Amino acid sequence: MNKPNMKPRLHSHQPTAGVFKADSIRDVAESLNIVNLPDVVASALASDVEYRIHQVIEEAARFMRHAKRTTLTTADIDQALRVLNIEPLYGHFPHNPPVFRRAPPHPQTTAAGSVYFIEDEEIDFERVLREEKLTLPKGPRWTAHWLAVEGVQPLIPENPPAIPKDIDTEQAVKPGSPSRPHSVFPPTPPSDRPSPIQAAKKQQQQQQQLVKQVLSRELQLYYTRLTSALLPPSASDLTKRTAALASLRNDAGLQALLPYLVRWVGEGVVGALKNGVQSDNDGQVLEVLLDVIGALLDNPTLFVEPYLHQLLPPILSILLHSSLPDSHAVNLRTTASHILSRLLTQYSTTYPSLPPRIMKTLLLALISPGKSRSTREGAVRGLVGIGKEAVRKGLVEGGGAKVIGSECMPGEDSGIAESVMDAFRVLHPQSSSPVPLDQSNQADAEIIRQLGEVLGELFADRLMSDSAWARGVLIGDAAGL
Amino acid sequence: MSTASASTPEGTSPANPSAPSAESTISPTDRTILEYLRSKGYKGAEKEFLAAVEKPASDDKGKNPEATAATSTTVSSEELVKSEAVQSQRPSRPGENALREPATALQELASLGNSTNVQNLISSIDAVGAEEILSLDPTDKQEGFRELEAWVDGSLDMYRPEFRPILFPIFCHFYLDLIQYGFKEAAIRFYTEFSPSLGPSHSATLHHLSTLLLPAHVQNDELAQRFRNEKYTIRMSRSGFDLLVGWLTEGVGGEATGQGEGFSGEKGKRGRAAMLRVVNNHLRFDVTPSSTTSVSLNAWEESTGLLSSAIPQANGNATLTNPNSFNASKGELKLGPAPVPEELRAEAERVMREQAMMDRDPGAQYDPQLYSKALAPQPGVVAPSPSDLPPYPPSFKTIDVKREVERVRDARKRIRLERPSTHGAASQGHAPRNLPLPSICAYTLHDVGEGVPCCTFSMDTSLMAAGFSESYIRLWSLKGEKLKGYRSDFQSSSIKDVREKGGDTTRKLIGHSGPVYSVAFDPVSGSAAPPRYLLSASADATTRLWSLDTMSNVAAYRGHQNPVWDVQWGPMGIYFATASRDRTARLWSTDRTSALRVYAGHLSDVNSVRFHPNSLYLATGSSDWTTRLWDVQKGSCVRVFIGHQGIVSTLAFSPDGRYLASAGEDLAINLWDIGSGRRIKKMTGHTASIYSLAFSAESSMLISGGADWTVRCWDVESAGGPLTKTRENGCVLSRTDLMATFPTKRTPVINVQFTPRNLCLAAGLYLSPEQR
Repeated sequence: MNKPNMKPRLHSHQPTAGVFKADSIRDVAESLNIVNLPDVVASALASDVEYRIHQVIEEAARFMRHAKRTTLTTADIDQALRVLNIEPLYGHFPHNPPVFRRAPPHPQTTAAGSVYFIEDEEIDFERVLREEKLTLPKGPRWTAHWLAVEGVQPLIPENPPAIPKDIDTEQAVKPGSPSRPHSVFPPTPPSDRPSPIQAAKKQQQQQQQLVKQVLSRELQLYYTRLTSALLPPSASDLTKRTAALASLRNDAGLQALLPYLVRWVGEGVVGALKNGVQSDNDGQVLEVLLDVIGALLDNPTLFVEPYLHQLLPPILSILLHSSLPDSHAVNLRTTASHILSRLLTQYSTTYPSLPPRIMKTLLLALISPGKSRSTREGAVRGLVGIGKEAVRKGLVEGGGAKVIGSECMPGEDSGIAESVMDAFRVLHPQSSSPVPLDQSNQADAEIIRQLGEVLGELFADRLMSDSAWARGVLIGDAAGL
Repeated sequence: MSTASASTPEGTSPANPSAPSAESTISPTDRTILEYLRSKGYKGAEKEFLAAVEKPASDDKGKNPEATAATSTTVSSEELVKSEAVQSQRPSRPGENALREPATALQELASLGNSTNVQNLISSIDAVGAEEILSLDPTDKQEGFRELEAWVDGSLDMYRPEFRPILFPIFCHFYLDLIQYGFKEAAIRFYTEFSPSLGPSHSATLHHLSTLLLPAHVQNDELAQRFRNEKYTIRMSRSGFDLLVGWLTEGVGGEATGQGEGFSGEKGKRGRAAMLRVVNNHLRFDVTPSSTTSVSLNAWEESTGLLSSAIPQANGNATLTNPNSFNASKGELKLGPAPVPEELRAEAERVMREQAMMDRDPGAQYDPQLYSKALAPQPGVVAPSPSDLPPYPPSFKTIDVKREVERVRDARKRIRLERPSTHGAASQGHAPRNLPLPSICAYTLHDVGEGVPCCTFSMDTSLMAAGFSESYIRLWSLKGEKLKGYRSDFQSSSIKDVREKGGDTTRKLIGHSGPVYSVAFDPVSGSAAPPRYLLSASADATTRLWSLDTMSNVAAYRGHQNPVWDVQWGPMGIYFATASRDRTARLWSTDRTSALRVYAGHLSDVNSVRFHPNSLYLATGSSDWTTRLWDVQKGSCVRVFIGHQGIVSTLAFSPDGRYLASAGEDLAINLWDIGSGRRIKKMTGHTASIYSLAFSAESSMLISGGADWTVRCWDVESAGGPLTKTRENGCVLSRTDLMATFPTKRTPVINVQFTPRNLCLAAGLYLSPEQR
């Protein structure tokens, strides 16, 4: 066999003789026991084989096109062979495409190029029968969705996300600007969860478009100025800060910035509370941020409602956090509870499920074991902020006072006890001339017993000195009056 | 054979004053070519060639080339007579042409006897060598083509678009020549060198040619034979043509300065000769008097190519080379709405009036007027008379009345997708009013196996049918109702449980033995009731009729020899048409198992078939790049639409019957005016195959869906400028008439269709990303 020394000549003879090489023909011929195939025959056959293969592929491509596919499958080839009056190649299925592997190069015939073969996987019946669970495919099914509603493509999961061309180009144009205020702004609005109010998807989409559109340069500048004036509190002087807050409280036209401000506040609170918060500075930051929330709520031109779900976590975090800096703790919690109460009075009518949900959070913080005292104090203040009913529910009926009382040392005069007493004062005003409960009086004795039962020893003792108050706290306004 | 009377050019030269100078310029090679042409009887070519080689001489005398040509004809008249005699003696072989094996050619020439010019030829062959005479040296073709390309690229900007199309046919012929004479390597070299510059529009044809590697392939390949036997038509302006002829003959004219002196040297001469032979034998120049600049950008598509076989020849004697002249020769078409029988019309109007009374619907009382208005012939089109229609049953059924009533109601209630009429708000002043955009409901198929070649919705949108590659059809009820067929084993006593028990909202129809390529619901019930029949076409060469009452196959229509690609009901039921790989479209009626008409003429697969809304005509789109319109009853072709640069894959008639839209593998949608047969515009924008087209009910909007996972809306009436990169609402519009593009999530859109109330339905199958 003179194959190796024939090859170089052949290669020089046919520089670009198509995909199918004469060598392959010779290999096939050898496999059929035809040795010494002449060069001419081999190359002519190679050309012809290539032409025939192209013929089959062109025919198969028609079947592919009519099957509305863009990949040629073995089924197409079979169909093509059939119409060309050639017996199809059996044993190939489009859903189980054969995997070709390249054979390691043979040491003697390195020039022959790569040889590919089909991997014949061995199947171990025992393993298959033991392990594999045959699952029947579900079968074809359909889903329907709106691809377009009067020419507008709804942003629903079934449709691909809109191509953010506007923002891309905007960012591509602007990076040269010196201040680059826009870099603060994410391309998509931060609202990741649609609030229940704007349940309709179309509305949501409109809002998203709104945010995209109105980030004018002026607003971007305003945003950077505002945030730098507010924080960090040590660097900025007081007048600037008050001016900024006043602007937030009164200026119109900030609606577009609202999502960004809300997010800024949220991130600020998280950042301040995350790292331990013992420093004075963090306390100041939190105070400022609470002021910002308050200012946003105060601003009559802002439509805060869609962002309540984002505003509440910072407020509640500050209110209930276990370790606020000592110097600011009381102030922070009081402010937070004030803001909470204002928020509730403002929105509980349009958003009836809001107070119960906040109540639940506060009650959990108040009663559930393992919470720190400062958390409980915050919860009490929060309850005071919500109102009389909440205080009664939490402290008296829910047993909050009892829990706190058991945790306090008898006779201790801490903030938490004071806050509970404050809460009691909300329930019923302290009488100006207290008449202590009389142990000997049977009715009074009953009250004292109930006091101890409901509020715990500590607070029972404190309330005993004022019978009207004690009655008021225990039974309610109607009974007390 | 008439005796040779020493009438070679040398012999006659004393008789003609211009001849000596001409003789001096004619090189031996040219002379032999001339004689060869003469002996083969190519009079036109000979004349042209002679005129060409004698041009310098005539220029000396200040005559124009035409005059010289005239004089030269007088010179060669004797030879013409003689050569005709030569021609007549030989057995005529139609289809065979000048390019033949050199040896046989020589032998033939020698056998022709002792005519002097033949002697001359033989002697010159001896001198120069047979191979070179017949331009068999492969390199001169390469050289010649390079020269031509350089000349075209160097020509003036105004002529370049005109000259570019010449490159392609000359390339093809050179390549085929090289292959035919066995110069495989030279052919491959030639291909690799020049094919990239020929432009993407020819890539499919070029690829096909590149697969031909042996002479036997050229003999057997259909496309190669078409190139060989047909003339490739090229449209050119008068001045451009003159420049080309001048350059081919003399090597001067039209090229930019500094481009060299055209053909030079021996090789260049042979290259030129080869080119001249191609030009003479295989090209036809459609010379137009119009100036080059007035021709629009895409006009060449309609007038360039192997047209003579694409255009049906009327009587055999008069060959039409221009699709426009063919279309004009076929006279006017009746494109108006089909007439509705008087009784049916009266009954429908009566029912409408009744319903208007019952419903107390304020809009309904105008239905009868609307109805008569819809049936009235529109201005500008001829309405057919009842006798023009294919025969329909004389009586009408209840369902016909219901359908008509529903049709009017749909027309009243449908979503308006047309420009608001300008009468009311003409004073507003904003001139181009925007079309309202449609609402599109997409039905996505999941978890299909090998693929869904087709999918369709019934007109009342109660049913969806999809044909699968796994040979079955699946029906779905879109209203969530259970699909129950009639029982075959019911008791005659209890006629109540005639329907099957149980059932599901989907149903599988099994009967085909190959992939199902098309399904169609019958249109008889319109939108008034669910359809009763379904047709399906498959790769097993049958078309099947399925009853949706019994959910079973009721008939199989055999006749096609090859896979049936498409099936379509006639607009009033009863008849249907199929398109097949066997290059025919056929007309059938449901009650006969054999075809009523065979529409033959396409040169390749018929991919798509559509009925004209008045059922008088049938349009077919084919893989031979053309679309034809057939007279349903006569079976003759009445229009041919040439312009696509690829396979025509799908078609759509506008409901008003005036326009035809066709989509091709060249990724363009062409809009045709049926009456004149002319292209109105070409709409480009899709980036992959277009699978489906649909017109809105007012014919004002076209929707297309394709393999690029998009649905696109096109404005039919807008002129549709070329690429105008205007930014509107953030999306870059590539064309002014592409109104909107709606991308889907990995879903090739296989069917788009409008409901009678103008809601657009789109169907596609979701390709999961892990699927390759």
